[in-house]
Amino acid sequence: MTTTTASVETEVEAFPPGRARRPRAAKRDLGRHLGAQVFLLLLLIGFLAPVAWAVLSAFKPAADIIRYPLRFDPTVFTLDNYVRMFEDVPIMNGFLNTAIVLVFKGGITMFFAPLAAYAFAKYRFAGKNLIFGAVLITLMLPTIVLIIPLLLQMKELGWVNTYQALILPGAIDAFAIFWMRQVIAAVPDELLDAARVDGCSEFGIFWRVVVPVIRPGLAGLAVLTIMNIYNDFVWPVIVASSERMATLQVVLSTLAQNITGNRIGADYATVTAELLAASSIALIPLLVLFIALQRHFINGILAGSVKG
Amino acid sequence: MTAVPATRSASPARRRPSMARARRRSAPYVFVLPFVALFLAFSVYPLVYTFRLSFTNWRGVGAAEWVGWDNYTYLLTSSQFWASLGNSAVLWLLIVPIQLVVGVLAAVLLNSVLVRGRGMYRVAYIVPFVTPLVAVAQIWIVLFDQNYGAVNAVLGSVGIPPVGWLTTSEWAKPTLALLFLWKTTGFIVIILLSGLQSIDNSLYEAAALDGASRGRQLWSITVPLLRRTIMFAVVLQTLAVFQMFAEPFVVTQGGPYGSTTTAGYYLYNHITRADLGTGAANSFLLVVLVMALSLVFVRLLRAKD
Repeated sequence: MTTTTASVETEVEAFPPGRARRPRAAKRDLGRHLGAQVFLLLLLIGFLAPVAWAVLSAFKPAADIIRYPLRFDPTVFTLDNYVRMFEDVPIMNGFLNTAIVLVFKGGITMFFAPLAAYAFAKYRFAGKNLIFGAVLITLMLPTIVLIIPLLLQMKELGWVNTYQALILPGAIDAFAIFWMRQVIAAVPDELLDAARVDGCSEFGIFWRVVVPVIRPGLAGLAVLTIMNIYNDFVWPVIVASSERMATLQVVLSTLAQNITGNRIGADYATVTAELLAASSIALIPLLVLFIALQRHFINGILAGSVKG
Repeated sequence: MTAVPATRSASPARRRPSMARARRRSAPYVFVLPFVALFLAFSVYPLVYTFRLSFTNWRGVGAAEWVGWDNYTYLLTSSQFWASLGNSAVLWLLIVPIQLVVGVLAAVLLNSVLVRGRGMYRVAYIVPFVTPLVAVAQIWIVLFDQNYGAVNAVLGSVGIPPVGWLTTSEWAKPTLALLFLWKTTGFIVIILLSGLQSIDNSLYEAAALDGASRGRQLWSITVPLLRRTIMFAVVLQTLAVFQMFAEPFVVTQGGPYGSTTTAGYYLYNHITRADLGTGAANSFLLVVLVMALSLVFVRLLRAKD
């Protein structure tokens, strides 16, 4: 650890490229450079290993997963775990529920958040600061404070274990408004005025001028929204944990209770294998999306980090 | 851009300016209305509701009885409440310092011109952050199983006896901390890296022209400008650690012996016991704590600037 810390300083010093070094210094640099690469590589392996291990293990015979957790033999490749998992776990139902929530909740956020953001960025109106203050409060409020009253509210409305409960609370994400307001503020006013002079309606200006211009920001928002909804767990498990309504993450979480209840012998091997198959399959859609849209993902995540 | 035609003479807006102005005045209200409606229904109303609830002993059925500050005094004198805060504090200590050291180290290395494949690292480091927590928590249970897990298999191959990662109270917290570290450290690296990259290169050039040494540049430019990003990351992670819920829920159910009953998980316990008044009071106490911690960090950030 101490050697790598020392190398940090040289790397930063080297950041603005400077004059040529003497051979000895160059050699020392090479060593530190190597140390840097090794450190970064070890970190990379650490980050990818658990996922890689799970995905690969799910294709092993159940008994081998627990008997030889570190051995991977491509000749004994099997799909049995997946077949059994699809029989035992209502995972398709989970995927379906998650997809429904994604379409509606994601759709609401993607349409109404930029629209509200447009009003905050480009109009002056009475109560604007008050309402935007509400956006900021929603942004800073820890989610846990609302869980109990929201659950009671859902009970009053008879919405427990319904799609409405999964979709509506938090559907217009405050963070999305906050972020899109910054993005839309950068759109030149002249563009909007020109459209207005041409007789474009106020909504028309948003739809036909603002939206096309901020498309990259919207792409970032879209991937962030998909990721957040797909991975959301706390609210779904509390408000809609029935088997019929369980989203993918909720389906996966009850699997855990199964496994801790079945910790003995062959049963454990089977459950473990199914669990790894289910977890692997849940990772795949997001990983594919992530690899396809890396740049938007990283932009979205960076912008998303101002939340909190 | 096709939506902006070049001809401007025959515009209806010109013909009926007053109506256009009226529309322009009312438009923003229409645009923010959906947000305001949802905000009132699902944020303001529940907040007011929790506040009232926190002064009652309501258990979900029957009539609620006003109990004044009883819920608050009960919690503040309850050893379980303090234990849950203590567990979260220990997790914070296990997570945040390590994450900062590793994060700053990795970000600075990635930002140096000497390292190749920066794009690849950036993508690979963010993979854990993108993966669903519940799926990873499941994988954690399997990996860290005392008898059959891969981690103990690796340790066994170098002669270390099996460790009860999730079954002993001394190891359960570090194992959860490791899950949290694995999930979010790459994200912190990316944040710090963007902080580093926003440092204007011309600052270094100007400093070099003024005869500042490289060490001086590091100390006077990189460190002060990154400090803001670092404190930001600390605030972010403090909020996340004190609200931690899904990890203990899936992996340990708060055990063994309550050692992973975090502040967030303890709150959930009130719901499962239908002890809603106490739960509401607990929510408010937790929010006050989290807000206070954030304020302290923000103050620190200002003072150091």
